[in-house]
Amino acid sequence: MKKLVALLTALMMLVCALPVLSTAEEAPAVDTSEHVTITYLVTGDIPTDRTEEVLAKINEILNEKVNATLEIRWIEWTNWTTNYNLALATQSGDIDLIGTATDWLDAWPNTQRGAFLPLTEEMLQTYAPKTWESVPAEHWDLCKYNGEIYLIPEDNYAQWTNHGFMYRGDWAREAGLENGVHSWEDLGVYFQYIKDNKEGVWPWDADGNGSSYSPQMAGGWQASHTSNIVIEGFPVSLFYGNSKEDPYTLSRYYLEGDELVNFAKTMKSWADAGYWRTDVLNYTGAQDSLMKEGTSAARQHHTETWTGFRTDMEEAQPGSDLGFFFFGEETDNLVSLNITHGAMAVAYTSEHPDRALMVYDLLRNDPEIYRLMMYGIEGDMYTIDENGYMVRPEGFDSTTDGVTLNFWWGRNDDLGLRDADRDWEAIDELYARYDEIATTYPYGQIVFDLTNIQVYLDNISNVYNTYMPRIVFGLMDDPEAYVAEFRTQLQNAGIETVMEEIQNQLDAVYKQ
Amino acid sequence: MVKSQKAVTNGLHTYRRPPLGRTLMQNKTLLLMCLPAIVFFFVFSYMPMPGAYIAFTNFQYNKGIWNSPFIGLQNFKFLFTSGQLGLLLRNTILYNLAFIVLGNVLQLLFAILLNEVQSKGFKKTTQSLMFLPYFISDVLVSLLVYNLLNYDYGFISNLVRNLGGEMPIVYQMPQAWPFIIVAVNLWKSTGYGTVVYFAAITSMDSSMMEAAQIDGANGFQRIRYITLPTLKPTVVILFLFAIGGILKGNFGLFYNLVGNNSILFNTTDIIETYVYRSMMNSFNFSQSSAVGLFQSVVGFFIVLGANAFVKKLDSDYALF
Repeated sequence: MKKLVALLTALMMLVCALPVLSTAEEAPAVDTSEHVTITYLVTGDIPTDRTEEVLAKINEILNEKVNATLEIRWIEWTNWTTNYNLALATQSGDIDLIGTATDWLDAWPNTQRGAFLPLTEEMLQTYAPKTWESVPAEHWDLCKYNGEIYLIPEDNYAQWTNHGFMYRGDWAREAGLENGVHSWEDLGVYFQYIKDNKEGVWPWDADGNGSSYSPQMAGGWQASHTSNIVIEGFPVSLFYGNSKEDPYTLSRYYLEGDELVNFAKTMKSWADAGYWRTDVLNYTGAQDSLMKEGTSAARQHHTETWTGFRTDMEEAQPGSDLGFFFFGEETDNLVSLNITHGAMAVAYTSEHPDRALMVYDLLRNDPEIYRLMMYGIEGDMYTIDENGYMVRPEGFDSTTDGVTLNFWWGRNDDLGLRDADRDWEAIDELYARYDEIATTYPYGQIVFDLTNIQVYLDNISNVYNTYMPRIVFGLMDDPEAYVAEFRTQLQNAGIETVMEEIQNQLDAVYKQ
Repeated sequence: MVKSQKAVTNGLHTYRRPPLGRTLMQNKTLLLMCLPAIVFFFVFSYMPMPGAYIAFTNFQYNKGIWNSPFIGLQNFKFLFTSGQLGLLLRNTILYNLAFIVLGNVLQLLFAILLNEVQSKGFKKTTQSLMFLPYFISDVLVSLLVYNLLNYDYGFISNLVRNLGGEMPIVYQMPQAWPFIIVAVNLWKSTGYGTVVYFAAITSMDSSMMEAAQIDGANGFQRIRYITLPTLKPTVVILFLFAIGGILKGNFGLFYNLVGNNSILFNTTDIIETYVYRSMMNSFNFSQSSAVGLFQSVVGFFIVLGANAFVKKLDSDYALF
């Protein structure tokens, strides 16, 4: 009896397989007869605009093409790191696609903890053929851990998230900086001019309450005064390679040398001059509104923010001519964005990884879906002008009339539109400069294993997060002594052990 | 309650404790009323308890808690090698003691005062107003404090300057913050605690009060000899409950008030804020569970110790 059943089963399988075999060359044999829901995990606040409406339209197409509905699970910005990691840790088939990133969303630690499904070449070829073809082999190599692909990179989207300072061009000219601010010294001149001449305006009304200024400001000074290159993937921003010529030797910038002391001294002189509030470390003012209202003369963030904010500022403060001084400008020390600054992963517990990949392939490569997702409904929410730019209708308010899907994990310049609102002349000028000087991120191939140094890294993080905010905002009596104390504490927390381990891992991958 | 089934001699008669089943049946209404609390603690406190095992593993999401590799006490190491544990323990325990002792004294005081107030309208209004801060989130509280105390524009700073005084930079004075934090905590929690004591007072047998009044006891004497002794069990039980959490700091309050202002850390850093600072960028469930487990285990032994102490003084008031 058993044999008979086996024989029948085998026969049935053969019969079923026949038509598949004959058509295999035209279309992949993917069974989409069962309707499934694909849940996509993304960081961002639940939108209050027309997203639902647009999503329904996207789902119509997805239903038709791959018999799947896309659902979105938002990780709101309140407490997002905790909630994002919790969602990954407690997944039980409730999420399929996960937006992630190697620099700001812990993609590699989460890979090591088993949050993501390894993607075989066969899976990608079958279910995400367009993506598979468009991503070159050397890019797939950067998405591998232990030889297996875990991430799909956002590698066809030009953007710059290098940090710097936004300043008002009109005020810079008044201050005698005809060409704008292009160095930390210029920035000091600009701040002093504001302090002396603009009553009721803070040179930089910084919200030092957040922790992000520590790596940005300290790393910014470092970029402008050394040739060091930051290595991503650590919980604390203390590990840099020497230079683009010698990227695989660790820099000892934070442990010895005068540059960090100079930084502390300069920041102390700025604090004493009153460029920011006395109680800056406990202040939480919203940086964009303060600048729009005209009570703060600078904002510290990255290039991408500047491209949009320049337009907003022109509206709020006509003639403000918002400029951007990027860290590393003095020394041409700039590293282009890692292609995994945005990446899509498939959840380890996903019940339909095949369909999830099919949906992703469409989101990324289908012109109709892509534009719905990025800009909304054509003719209603935007139009394309004769130059191919995207134009929003009169009175368009992005908070109520736009679409927000935060798809930062596979944007595609082949299908994207340029916003007619933005000042592309100024932006392209800066981008051209970047393209000229930027080095490719040299550490894409390595995924660090922190297991044996985690304890030290935790204590080092504490030291960094204790000392750095005060250095950054110049809140100490004696900068030299304070930096020395910081360095001693790093030593006590075991930084040498950690550096040795990191150097070994770098050597193992790059020095053969 | 049902300590044993053995016979208890009661005078001349032999009294036998009723069997458990009958006790349960007789008290079924009371038990039913307890049920939500029992279910709550079972579901949220006892069921997750085996999960504390996560503190001894290198937790892997795809393997689950039980199949993740066991690494012994590795996760506990970081707290002990930090060199900060002494300071953290000192701050955490001292703040909690201040909260518990001062908090209870204030709550008792206000409950008694409220009880003496005759006007019903005044009583209700006062109670509501006192309760209100309890519902204000720590984020807002920190903004209120900032707007009062900040050096450049703060309300108090302006007041002092307008009166010709010299305002110190409060956010750079570590010695001021124990007072500020304790004051804020008391402001937030007194209203809530007062209600508990007030309820205990109102459930007192009023005939005692009347008798005392007839005997000519004045207000203070009534409080001293009747109200306070009646409240003693409530005070002891609340104290024993509170002391179990003595190693657990109120993260929201401390983090929002102090943030990353490390000038103040010497007097304001507690275990929670330290753990946050060390691990905010390296998300590690196992290590944070290890810290939580450490706090709970120490808290457990402190409760046992405190209970034994209370039992020695007066066994009626002990929890068990």
